[in-house]
Amino acid sequence: MAFPNVRLSNRPLHFIYLCDCSGSMAAQGKMQALNQAIRQSLPGMAEVARENPEARVLVRAIRFADQAAWHLPEPTPVQQLQWQDLQAGGITAMGEALSLLAAALQSPPMEERALPPVLVLISDGQPTDDFEAGLALLMRQPWAQKAVRLAIALGHDADLEVLQQFIGPEPAGPGRSPRRPLQASTATTLAQYIRWASTAVVGAASMPASRLSDAATEPNLNIPLPDLPPTLLDPTDDVGPLVW
Amino acid sequence: MTWLLPPGALLRFEGLDQPLRILEPLGGGTQGQVYAVDAGGERLALKWYLPACIARDRQLPSRLRQAIALGAPSSHFLWPLALLEPTPEARPLIRHAAAGFGYLMPLRPPGFIGAHLHAGGALEISLQSVLRACLFLAEGFHQLHLKGLCYKDISLGNLFLEPASGRILICDNDNVDIDGRDLGGVLGTPGFMAPEVLLGRAKPGASSDLFSLAVLIFRLLTRHDPFRGRQELAIRCLDEPARRRLYGDDPVFIFDPLDPRNRPDPQEHAAALITWPIYPQSLQALFEQSFGPGLRRPQQRALTGQWIQALARCLDQRRLCPHCGQETFTDPEAPGCCWSCGGVLPRPALLQAPHGRVVLAPGNALQRHHLDPLQPIDLSHPLGELVAHPSDPSILGLRNTAPAPWQAWLHNGQQLTIPPGKTCNLAALHQLHCESGVITLTT
Repeated sequence: MAFPNVRLSNRPLHFIYLCDCSGSMAAQGKMQALNQAIRQSLPGMAEVARENPEARVLVRAIRFADQAAWHLPEPTPVQQLQWQDLQAGGITAMGEALSLLAAALQSPPMEERALPPVLVLISDGQPTDDFEAGLALLMRQPWAQKAVRLAIALGHDADLEVLQQFIGPEPAGPGRSPRRPLQASTATTLAQYIRWASTAVVGAASMPASRLSDAATEPNLNIPLPDLPPTLLDPTDDVGPLVW
Repeated sequence: MTWLLPPGALLRFEGLDQPLRILEPLGGGTQGQVYAVDAGGERLALKWYLPACIARDRQLPSRLRQAIALGAPSSHFLWPLALLEPTPEARPLIRHAAAGFGYLMPLRPPGFIGAHLHAGGALEISLQSVLRACLFLAEGFHQLHLKGLCYKDISLGNLFLEPASGRILICDNDNVDIDGRDLGGVLGTPGFMAPEVLLGRAKPGASSDLFSLAVLIFRLLTRHDPFRGRQELAIRCLDEPARRRLYGDDPVFIFDPLDPRNRPDPQEHAAALITWPIYPQSLQALFEQSFGPGLRRPQQRALTGQWIQALARCLDQRRLCPHCGQETFTDPEAPGCCWSCGGVLPRPALLQAPHGRVVLAPGNALQRHHLDPLQPIDLSHPLGELVAHPSDPSILGLRNTAPAPWQAWLHNGQQLTIPPGKTCNLAALHQLHCESGVITLTT
C-alpha cells in the first residue's frame, strides 16, 4: 500500500575541484583553509544533492604542484565523500591539471547524457607550465565548453588573467560577478565561495530555479548563475588602518 | 552560511508594537534567509531578502503589501502576515550595509517535508496521500484564483507535504499578484513554466498557473516529468537551451494520444510507464487536455475545479487489490485488473449516495458533497470514514464523523442508531439515513 518504488530518472552532475597545492599555499595557512572550506561545505552540498531529484552529484578533485594528479580520482557521490587533506609543496603545473581534466571530460569516460559539469579552479599564483596548451586541450572537449567554470583567487598574488581565461570572456561592467575570478582574501570569504559553488551553483546546474522577469540575462550562458553570497558588513571595513 | 540577521538579537520593525527575537536561522536560498522568531511569545517565521534580490525586484514590497492586505486564500498557504522594515535603532544590528526588508509568516509545522523528496523517490507515501495532496493543491489554487490572484511560480520547490495525511503547504507567496496586473517579479521555474511564458510571449498569470499546476500534479502522481520522453534521450547536456527546446519550442506530452513522438523510454523513463496506468481515464484525460490542446491554447487547460472533481472521484473509487493489497483506482462499474500484480479485480461493494459513490475500502470517506451537490468538495470534514475493526481488520465499518446520529437499517430489518463517533459494521448494513440523505450499500 505505497507509492511504487520509482523515481524521476536522473543525470550525473560532475563537480570537479582543481586545487593549487604549490609551495606558496603553505603560507598563512592557505592550504589548511582550503581543506577546511571544502570539508565544511560537504554537508550543505549533500543536502542540495538529496533535495534534488534530477541529479546524481559526483565529486572529484585534481591537485597540482610540480605535477598535476588526481587527488580524488573516482567520481564520488557527495554523501559518501570523505575529504583527504591536500598538502602544499612545489610549483604550479596548472596547464597539466587542465590537460588531466580534459582527458576526464572526454566521452567516454564521460557518460553519454549528463548535466553540465561544474569545474572549480582554486589558485594563489601563476602557472609555471604551459597554461595555454592545457586550456586549449580542455576547451576542445564539448563537456568543458558546456561546463560551468568558476575560479577562486586566493590572496593577492593569484593570476587573475589566467583564471579569467579559464572561466571565459569577462562580463561587461564593473563589480563582483560569478563570471570573474572570485577573490578570497580571508579564510571566511574562501569558505563562503566554496559553499556557494558547491550548493547554489550545483542547484542551478541541475534543477532550474525561479526566473525573474527583469533578470539581466547574460547571453551565451548555458546555465544562469545564482547571485554571489552577500558580503557581510564588517564594522572595521573601510575605516583605514586600525593601528599605526 | 552568512546570516544577515544576528541570532539572539531583539529587532524592532516599523509598525510592529513589539520587537522580534531572532531565535535561529532555518535555512537560506537564492532569494533570502528564513529565521524562526519569537513575537511576544508566539513562534513565527521571518523571511529576510538578500540585497541582490531586492535590487532586482523593485515591486517586491508592493506585491507583499497587497498579499498581506488581501489575506490567505485558504489554510493551504504559508501566507505573509506583515512586511518588516527595520526601525532606525534596529538597522545597525543588521549585518549588511543596506537595511533591507522581509516578512513575517506562520512557521511550517513539523512533519511537512519538501515535495522534491517525493519526486526523488526518497519518501514513503501512499497513493491515497499523494492524490489527496494533489486535490488540496488544486483546491488552494482554486481559492487563490477565485480571489482574482495568480501565483506565477508553481513548482515542486514551493510545496511541502505531510506524507501521512497528504496535507500540503504552499510557501513563497511573495510573487502573488492580481491576475493581469503584472507587478514584475518572477516568470516561473523552467520545467513548470507554460510554453508561452518560457518563450517570452506572455506574462505569467492565472492561465499559465493552470499549466504549471498540471505539471506539478503530474510530477506528484507519476514521479516523472510530462515532457521527458524519447526526445530527452537525444539531449546530451541538459542545460538551459536544451530545456527550452524540451519545454518551450516543441514540447510533446509523453502520453499524448495523437502524437507518439515523445513516448517514455522503457529504461530511462520507467517511472512514468509504471505510474501512469494507475490512474483512471477521467484523470488522465485532464493531462491529455492540458498538455495537448492546452499547450498552445491556454483556455483549453484543465481548470482547478475540474482537477478537484476528477481527483475526488479517483479517491472515491480507491480500493485494495484482494491479491496483493496495493491501492487501485479502476472504475468500479467496469471489469479491471490491478496495475501492480495484474490480478483481476472483482466488482467492489459501494456506498451509494444520492450524488456520489464510495468504494468500500478502509481509509475511504463519505463526503458531504456525495449527499448535497451544493456542498463544495472538502476532504477535511468527511461525514463518515471507512475503518477496519481495531482487533479484526477483516471487519469493515463506517464511522459517523458527522455531528448528528444516523439511523441504520440492517439486512434483517433491524434498526439501529449510530451516534457521532461510533462505527457501524458494513457487513450487516443495508441502508443509512443521515440528516442530508440516504446511503445504500450495494454489493
